[in-house]
Amino acid sequence: MALKQTSGVTVTVENVSLSFGKTEVLKGVNLEIKPGELFTFLGPSGSGKSTLLRSIAGFGPRPGGRILIDGDDIAGLAPWDRNVGMVFQSYALWPHMTVRKNVAFGLEERKVPAREIAERVEAALDLVGLAAYGDRRPSQLSGGQQQRVALARTIVVEPRVLLLDEPLSNLDANLRVQMRREIHDLQRKLNLTTIFVTHDQEEANTISDRMAVLDQGVIQQTGTPLNLYDNPANRFVASFLGTANLLEGRIEAGDGGLWFIADAGPRLRLTPDAGAAGDRTAAMMRPQNLTITDADGALGQDVAVLEGTVEMLEFLGTIVRYAVRVGGASMLVDETHRVGRAVHAVGDSVRLGVEAADIRLLSA
Amino acid sequence: MTTVSRSLWGPGAVALSLALFLIVFLVIPVAKVIYVAFQDPNTGALTLINFVDFFNTSLFQESFFNSFYVASMSVVLASVFALPLAYFTTRFNFGGSILIQTLGVIPLIMPPFVGAVAMVLLFGQNGSINLLLDEYFGFTIPFMEGLNGVIFVESVHYFPFILINLSAALNNIDRSMEEAAQNLGASRGRLFRRIVFPLAMPGYVAGASLVFLKVFDDLGTPLLLNINNMLAPQAYLRISSIGINDPMGYVISVILVMFSLLALWTSFLALRGKDYATVQKGGGGLMKRDLAGWEKAGCYAVVILILLLVLSPHIALTLLSFGTVWSFSPLPDAYTAQHYVDVVSTSSTYITNTLLYAGLAAGIDVVFGTAIAYVVWRTGLPGRKLLDYMAMGAVAIPGVVLGIGYLRTFYQFDVPFIDKPLASWWVIIVIALAIRRLPYALRACVAALQQVSVMLEEAAENLGATKSRTVRRIVVPLMMGGIVAGFVTSFATAAVELSATIMLVSQESDAPLAYGIYEFMQSASGRGPGAALGIIAVLIIGIATYLSHRVINKKETERAPQQAAAPEEKVQGA
Amino acid sequence: MKRKDFLRAVSGALAALAVSALPAFAADLEGKLVIVTSYPPDTTVTVKKAFEAAHPGVEVEMLKKKTTAGIKFLQETATNNKADMFWASAPDAFEVLKGDGLLAKYDVKVQGIPEKVGAFPINDPDGYYKGFAASGYGIMWNTRYLKAKKLPVPKTWAELADPVYFGHVGMSAPSRSGTTHLTVETILQGMGWEKGWALMKAMSGNFKTVTERSFGVPDGVNSGQFGLGIVIDFFGLSSQASGFPVDFLYPPITTLVPANIAIVKNAPHPKAAAAFIEFLLSPEGQAVLLDPKIRRLPVNPATYAKAPAGFPNPFKDPSLGSAVKFDLDLSKSRYNVVNSLFDVMVTYRLDDLQNAVKAIHDAKAKAQGKSNADADKLIAEAEALVAKMPITEAEAGKKEFNAIFKKKRKKADTKVTGRQAEVEQQWDEEVKANYAKAKELAEKAASML
Repeated sequence: MALKQTSGVTVTVENVSLSFGKTEVLKGVNLEIKPGELFTFLGPSGSGKSTLLRSIAGFGPRPGGRILIDGDDIAGLAPWDRNVGMVFQSYALWPHMTVRKNVAFGLEERKVPAREIAERVEAALDLVGLAAYGDRRPSQLSGGQQQRVALARTIVVEPRVLLLDEPLSNLDANLRVQMRREIHDLQRKLNLTTIFVTHDQEEANTISDRMAVLDQGVIQQTGTPLNLYDNPANRFVASFLGTANLLEGRIEAGDGGLWFIADAGPRLRLTPDAGAAGDRTAAMMRPQNLTITDADGALGQDVAVLEGTVEMLEFLGTIVRYAVRVGGASMLVDETHRVGRAVHAVGDSVRLGVEAADIRLLSA
Repeated sequence: MTTVSRSLWGPGAVALSLALFLIVFLVIPVAKVIYVAFQDPNTGALTLINFVDFFNTSLFQESFFNSFYVASMSVVLASVFALPLAYFTTRFNFGGSILIQTLGVIPLIMPPFVGAVAMVLLFGQNGSINLLLDEYFGFTIPFMEGLNGVIFVESVHYFPFILINLSAALNNIDRSMEEAAQNLGASRGRLFRRIVFPLAMPGYVAGASLVFLKVFDDLGTPLLLNINNMLAPQAYLRISSIGINDPMGYVISVILVMFSLLALWTSFLALRGKDYATVQKGGGGLMKRDLAGWEKAGCYAVVILILLLVLSPHIALTLLSFGTVWSFSPLPDAYTAQHYVDVVSTSSTYITNTLLYAGLAAGIDVVFGTAIAYVVWRTGLPGRKLLDYMAMGAVAIPGVVLGIGYLRTFYQFDVPFIDKPLASWWVIIVIALAIRRLPYALRACVAALQQVSVMLEEAAENLGATKSRTVRRIVVPLMMGGIVAGFVTSFATAAVELSATIMLVSQESDAPLAYGIYEFMQSASGRGPGAALGIIAVLIIGIATYLSHRVINKKETERAPQQAAAPEEKVQGA
Repeated sequence: MKRKDFLRAVSGALAALAVSALPAFAADLEGKLVIVTSYPPDTTVTVKKAFEAAHPGVEVEMLKKKTTAGIKFLQETATNNKADMFWASAPDAFEVLKGDGLLAKYDVKVQGIPEKVGAFPINDPDGYYKGFAASGYGIMWNTRYLKAKKLPVPKTWAELADPVYFGHVGMSAPSRSGTTHLTVETILQGMGWEKGWALMKAMSGNFKTVTERSFGVPDGVNSGQFGLGIVIDFFGLSSQASGFPVDFLYPPITTLVPANIAIVKNAPHPKAAAAFIEFLLSPEGQAVLLDPKIRRLPVNPATYAKAPAGFPNPFKDPSLGSAVKFDLDLSKSRYNVVNSLFDVMVTYRLDDLQNAVKAIHDAKAKAQGKSNADADKLIAEAEALVAKMPITEAEAGKKEFNAIFKKKRKKADTKVTGRQAEVEQQWDEEVKANYAKAKELAEKAASML
């Protein structure tokens, strides 16, 4: 195997900002990506995630701030002097070259001896399972194969960092899952510091060691997928990662504990350390953490009970998702579906149970 | 099977009418002339003896070599002019790109014979440059001696073919193609050589092959520079001379045609299988880079030097048009505006005629060019290649041959209601121009079509658009850059065409500009007014070209934000 | 100032004409007149204006064609003719059209035009075309050029062969320009076949270029691309009148040849065409020829009274154009052979010829003041080789031989042996070898000195 495992590098982004004309695309971004980590930039369209990735690769105008790889500032270097490998969303395979020539390109640019190029190209193609396709033209390959060529072309040069720009968005669903795993395995195998850009949170959750959620040119929160899901820092992260019930309101003390009084009506008990009485805040509950019963059904102790009416239901296979009108708010509730069990119908009166431990208060 | 033939019905009808037009207005007239080459001059019987004579004649062997040499060197020199201009203006954020592109096209819109007159004034043995060199440094440079002069004038005149086609191709390269190479370590020079140039190759070859053919066939320039030992001048001299019924002229015409077709075929083979539809799904638009200060200065220096060189005919012509007497001196003796006054008061019909003829001809050309390109590259019609070859063949037909052919074929045919032979109706000039310039438009259209992915069409058809609706709503709009480039090329060059029109103008009031300039240039006192008319022509066509460039650019910037709004923030602000 | 006076005279004449002569014609003429002409707009526009002033209601359309293209045009369009007149310089062109039966006869009514100008009859004896002006051939030069290069003004054709003029002379090819053909034929007739060609080739060795168009010569002289040119007089005179620093003279061996006009057979507007001829030959029409932009020698001797001082007058100056008795039949009999010979020996072999002549010049310069009989002999041999003709005068005039070069076989059963390309290739081989040998000999001679 000609492809070596790397020791991994640190990528540090310090106060990076960038504007196109009057539009601020990045507003003082700070990040530290650890050696060998698979780090994801997650965000909606226009959040700045691709721009940030391209800045690390050296494309586009030079941003303000510093971008460090193992402590060296690379912000002033030309793209070809950075040795960061990038896989493009469109793959950008050169149609006038064979697969083998495409993969060999970066090595040729690095003046690697021809024999070694041949060996490493074959190894790289072998690694992505395309050893037999070296003489094809890119146009003769399927989408997944093109993706693999693009990947092979990038890793064969042993870049310090691997940048993946929405690499799976042009693939069909099954292939996407498969390629996701392959990329993940490859990354682990090579211990390559990797930055992955996507707008798909499932993709991000499954593949990332850590991730950063971006919106409007600002990093909203950084952390492991689980941490971000369970403890979103703000309303944007809460609703972008999975589904969330958000109620605006304030904290009040009384009845021997803390209460959240939603502006829309519902009252919810909070854990004693949840916050300070008098603060305005938002309460976040995941739909799967709420329980739903008939209007006369029983709910456990220490559970806040909300009375409401079913507005809508969706059968999703493993779960049934209800939208329940509670006072002025509409709450989403997921109930695990059991074969043969009846569901609540639209218009039924129901009760919702909320445990204090499942409520997260969001300051921002 | 039946469904396939049904879907070919529409394109088939279009192809058939195109073929008919080409047969009537290209094949038959040319065949009538070329037939002479196969006639025994003594008996009138069919024979190949004339071709034997051709290959046995040392003068013709020499002419053949000279033509080949001049055409090849002109391609080289034209590439030297075109590459930096095309590359700088398409790849960098460069103030005045549109202006540079427009100025770069201007050499085409001057009749080559006028260009030669002007170049002789500047670069000739006793032209301005050499007079100054001789006076201050005591030596002269033989820019214009012998074949040098032809190569110089031709490459200045025809390099825009490469510029236009190459720029269009460069504009179509997906940005990620280049970024991928940079990301893998290719810096500027190698990036250009290994990625950009190969991807732009179809455009470059299209332009370069046109240059080669035009130079190979051009007779105006060698004649004006008094170079006779080349094929086209030999053919012309022999066909048009009084009292010589020499079949050799026609033989040379046949050989010109054959050789040009061969060159086209070679370039076709070279490009086969290189279907570079490089604009990809999810890909971004064009990459333009900012230049550092010193780079910018360097680029501007190169651009200005090239522009000065290629615009030197215009500079000289401007001087000539304002000069009183310009004789054996670096500059005219004195300056006057009188020539313009004379010309404007007497020659406005030339200008209106030219705009009408060239506009109509270029319109016909892009419509036919798009249709032929589509039929040839996107349908499975049997014999479709033939249509392409026929249309491209026009590039190989010397203008005089076409002119004589038209007179022979259409003088007997009176146009209904006009009561005039078709050969002396002004419309025949439009048709001749359209036929002569069709190859330019066709190449531009083909290049543009090759860069429109078939998938985009399939998407439209899938959504219920018929073939013709797809062409109209998807293919043509996506080809628009190339189509406009084709229109501009056809229009601008048709506006200065002389060789075919000079045979077909049957009354002064139908005469176009080039004819008027040619007339003026035939008398001692007419050089000033002729030059003035030339400058007016250049201005009018130049403005038209500039405006169409603006339109293309506006269209493209209008399209850009939509791409930006697509899945990702791919396109950076312009 | 001169020019102004002259213009006033012309416009005065026109005004007088407009008042007096006009009503007599105008009534029954057609409204249109189409003239195929080789003349530049300077000539055509000026004459057109004058004619239209004299005959309001007739719109004249000038169709500019090079003489050769004009003939081709009339030939190609004869079946459906729309042109009324052919108007050009070279009488040979009219002979070709006459021979093809494309011209109509016309009897001129205007009086006062003599039979001959110089030694040349003004009108076609058969009555198909009429001379309206005379043209002579001579040398024009750029005064600045000659001064800068310190060259003397040549007075004779022979002087143009002097070494000082190497690379400074321009001329058109007789196959390309009818007027140039006349010049060559004049020299051949004036000096004889062998001597004439020897001089022609010695001169040609000094050529900078052989231009494709006859106007290319004055154009080159005017702009200073070369210093001297062999041209028809009005090119020189009108260039001078346009302000260029050029001058013109007639060498002793020249001929005055009429420039002509004819009515095309089946002309759609015959009356207007007749009126045009009458106008052109009338005193008023003749006076227009003196316009500085035109500068042609009128055929009406009376018109010279209005000419500016120093204007050549062939009817007064006996030296002008009468030295050579130009034989039109002889010219016609070998027309194509002469053209072809010139092209083979000069136009297409100019480089080889220049090299040979240059070598001879060099050798002669070296031989100056030395007496080396061997070298002199070699130089003489070299000169003879350059001058050597592939065919004799008698052969060149033979009918059967000319038929090889003939435009059209008159009848299908006409038998011709040999082909032009074949013949020319033979000549070319011979000429090329001769030039190469001459160069070798001259170089050898130079090395001996």
